Amino acid sequence: MSARKFAADKLLWEKLGRWKRSSPELDRIQFLKTVPFFDRLSNRQLKTVSDIMFERSYDTDESIFEEGQPGAALFLILNGKVAVEIYRETSTTRLAVLESGAFFGEMALLDDTPRSANARALEPTRALALYRNDLNGLRHRHPRTACQIYRSLASMIGDRLRSTNELVQMKIAGDTAGLG
Amino acid sequence: MSNGQDFEEKERERKIRRKVFYTILGTLAVVFGGFLVWKLRILILPIIVGGLLAFLFRPVKDRFRVRWLPHELQVLCSFALIGLVLFFAFNTLRKHIPDEQQKLEFKVRLQYKLNARYRQLVAKSPEGKSNAVTPLIEKEIGPLMDKVNQALELNPEESNLFLKYAAGYNGKPPIQSKFVDYFRANQNTREYVIPEKTPPNSPSLATPAAAAPAQSSASVEGTNLESKISAWILTPLIFLFLGFDNGQIRRFFISLVPNRYFELSLTVLDELDDAIGRYLRGTLLECFLVGLTLTLGLVLLGIPLGIAVAIGVVSGLLNAIPFLGTVIALVIGVGYALIAENVTPLIPGLNPNDLALYVLILVVIVHVLDDVVFQPFVLGSAANVHPLVVVIAIISGSLIMGLWGMLFAIPTVVVVKTAVATFFKELKDYRII
Repeated sequence: MSARKFAADKLLWEKLGRWKRSSPELDRIQFLKTVPFFDRLSNRQLKTVSDIMFERSYDTDESIFEEGQPGAALFLILNGKVAVEIYRETSTTRLAVLESGAFFGEMALLDDTPRSANARALEPTRALALYRNDLNGLRHRHPRTACQIYRSLASMIGDRLRSTNELVQMKIAGDTAGLG
Repeated sequence: MSNGQDFEEKERERKIRRKVFYTILGTLAVVFGGFLVWKLRILILPIIVGGLLAFLFRPVKDRFRVRWLPHELQVLCSFALIGLVLFFAFNTLRKHIPDEQQKLEFKVRLQYKLNARYRQLVAKSPEGKSNAVTPLIEKEIGPLMDKVNQALELNPEESNLFLKYAAGYNGKPPIQSKFVDYFRANQNTREYVIPEKTPPNSPSLATPAAAAPAQSSASVEGTNLESKISAWILTPLIFLFLGFDNGQIRRFFISLVPNRYFELSLTVLDELDDAIGRYLRGTLLECFLVGLTLTLGLVLLGIPLGIAVAIGVVSGLLNAIPFLGTVIALVIGVGYALIAENVTPLIPGLNPNDLALYVLILVVIVHVLDDVVFQPFVLGSAANVHPLVVVIAIISGSLIMGLWGMLFAIPTVVVVKTAVATFFKELKDYRII
């Protein structure tokens, strides 16, 4: 980071700290700093991202999105618990229970392919939503910020692909051993 | 009753209460909103125009980004830039808008030239024989020419002013003697059709009685004009404040949307914004291309650059009104071609006496170019509206809001059409319907 940018960030942070010591904006930026998805961003960049996010509140058992719906936004849990599940005719498979700081629905940042699972609040939950086209808009206005977010997204998808490959290889190895 | 059942019962009651509350609130909002819209209807148009301008120029504002400048200053700078460009454009255009002397001169020239053309048309051959069509033309076009003469004839006040300008008045150079001759010739023009004598007790003579109401209606018109002007002050304000908006308005409306429709509403708003933006900016570009082509064509026909630009700008702007825009361009263009003198076309082989015919052909060519090249290229399928709907929309627009209604009729139809189509598509995609 250049000295000029560092100084600008420091100034912004001091300004925010002085004027809005306990404002929701500052809380939100501080929260975003703890999320691995945004760990490459500076405070100024985090403020830019925070400005384009929507805060939503969900009641217990309220659906956040459903399987098959076109995805439009990434969700970040501020507080509360969210279950990611797949409903079938006779059964429900719970894939994960996510808590504060976790995010889900990240594939929606790339395109509007249908959601692969349902997300449901298990308790009163507050979440931040980052809409795909707002992130696209950042590409023109703050290309560096957008680029870093896309880089985080790519690296996360890469990690997932690697683990899926490992799982597949393990399964193939297991099947081969079974046959042998 | 167990705790769980008790909770469910309370939730059910809460849901009913919520429904009743929202229904009452919604009804009150609709009634109150309707009342406000009716009472403040004079403000609707300035607000729409301000909003549209802000919408149209948003890309300029978005492109104008200086990192170290606060958002508000960036907006002000981009608006200052837009204002400067518009100011210079209008200033240039204003120079070609005829002043009082030129208006009188144009009227005199147009009347003279039209009469000369008409006389030429119905003139008998040197042997004193007239062809078979001449009586028909005299019968059909004669009354029309009388009406045109009545409309173009200078009233006594204007005639006095013209004669003053002819001698040099108000620091302006005297009008050319040729045009003074036209003026005298116009005064000697007789009616082509002898009117039937009106009975002496004609009700049209009862003017004194009508004078008082006319006066009071004039004062009412004055008050209306004042309130209209003050309403238009809203336009730049709306333009400015919408320009300052950094997504807060959208965020506010999205925050009101229930969670179930959150992603849906974001998608619908975005697609609408995109489609309407593409259509409106496309229309603006299409109008610009039409204006430019017409200007170039007029220059090639030998019309002075300033006049050609003025006709091109007016015709380009009015091109936003389908069908009628072309007709108005035709009337303005041919009107000027009729009074133009000493014109030398840049294209060799053209006869300057047939300028009106060439302008007619030019307007037709521009119209065809617009239909075949500009519209498909610039607008694509964004403006696929059935011609019948276009005609009905324009007539309805003119009935409701006059010229402004005609101008906004098609954009409104496109907006409604896009909104309905997008809304239904997304409702289906989100499996809500």
